[in-house]
Amino acid sequence: MSPLPPHLLDALAAEAVRDGLADALYTYVPSPIGTLLVVSGANGIVRVGFEEEPEDRVLAGVVAGLGPRVLRADRELIGVRETLQAYLEGTREGELDLPFDLQLVHSPFRRTVLEILAGDVHRGDVIRYGELAARAGNPKAARAAGTACATNPIPIVVPCHRVLPSAGGVGNYGGGAPRKVQLLELEGALPPRLTPR
Amino acid sequence: MVVLPPFSALIEAHGDALLTHARRLAGPEQAEDVLQDALLRALRAYPRLRHADHLRAWLYRITTNAAMDAHRARRREVPAADPAASITVDPEQLDGFEDLITGLPDGVRATLRLRFVDDLEYDVIAIRLDCSPEAARQRVSSALRTLRQRSPAR
Repeated sequence: MSPLPPHLLDALAAEAVRDGLADALYTYVPSPIGTLLVVSGANGIVRVGFEEEPEDRVLAGVVAGLGPRVLRADRELIGVRETLQAYLEGTREGELDLPFDLQLVHSPFRRTVLEILAGDVHRGDVIRYGELAARAGNPKAARAAGTACATNPIPIVVPCHRVLPSAGGVGNYGGGAPRKVQLLELEGALPPRLTPR
Repeated sequence: MVVLPPFSALIEAHGDALLTHARRLAGPEQAEDVLQDALLRALRAYPRLRHADHLRAWLYRITTNAAMDAHRARRREVPAADPAASITVDPEQLDGFEDLITGLPDGVRATLRLRFVDDLEYDVIAIRLDCSPEAARQRVSSALRTLRQRSPAR
């Protein structure tokens, strides 16, 4: 079984969007931190999956939250792909600034944490979990802020890699600590290592 | 609540076979348009499905209907009516197909029904027609040829 030719998938996605028949679109974005699966709803990106997350599991979560009409749409999402790629390759200056939608986050506190993170913690900055919790209105909820980051459905776009433990080090990351280091180096929050990777 | 697979997974699993099906029914030039039309109809109906069984057969039926509508539209040389009006999720609603094959010899009609209404594989058609699977395949393809030759658009 071979897949349908890309021009057919692109034409179908364009038509489905025009007729309001798509719940979500997705594409793949090759990058220095691996190929990302990027899923977009009507209002922006709802999910970013790292290479090691199986497509069917990522898309099952999207179906549960947004509906089953999920389509591959490389052409529709070309702007998102190019922006992300340029950012991760280091050729785009400034913020990533892609529209996103936290529809897949159900807990209000987690949603608040992620909104603050995306709005206030800029490229090159980092924040501690406790400080993030405090800004979200509950200084004692450092652990819950950590959970919000650990379950962030939109890594990179909502920059949970910029949150560090107060004990020192870079801490955990959904995409693995080495990726977190790589992203922080890219953004200038950590000095780049001298040895080439 | 019914859990449906992402529509993209259906396209991945069956898209290629559906395109072949559309090609057989509508010819190579119309096939892609027919398939696109069919997949849009399927998308319209998809969230309303009450179960996730027989999705492949469901897609085949919708593609068959889209091919028949395209065929009728060409025959009448008028644009098809609002495609939304002809969405079908109901397996019984195959009048269009009967329209299409009306006037063909009985044997040809029966063969086409086994393949495209009942959606049977060739080995099962072979049992029904009491012949070898290879002969069943040939009968279906010759029945399709008969159908296409009759179509004034060809």
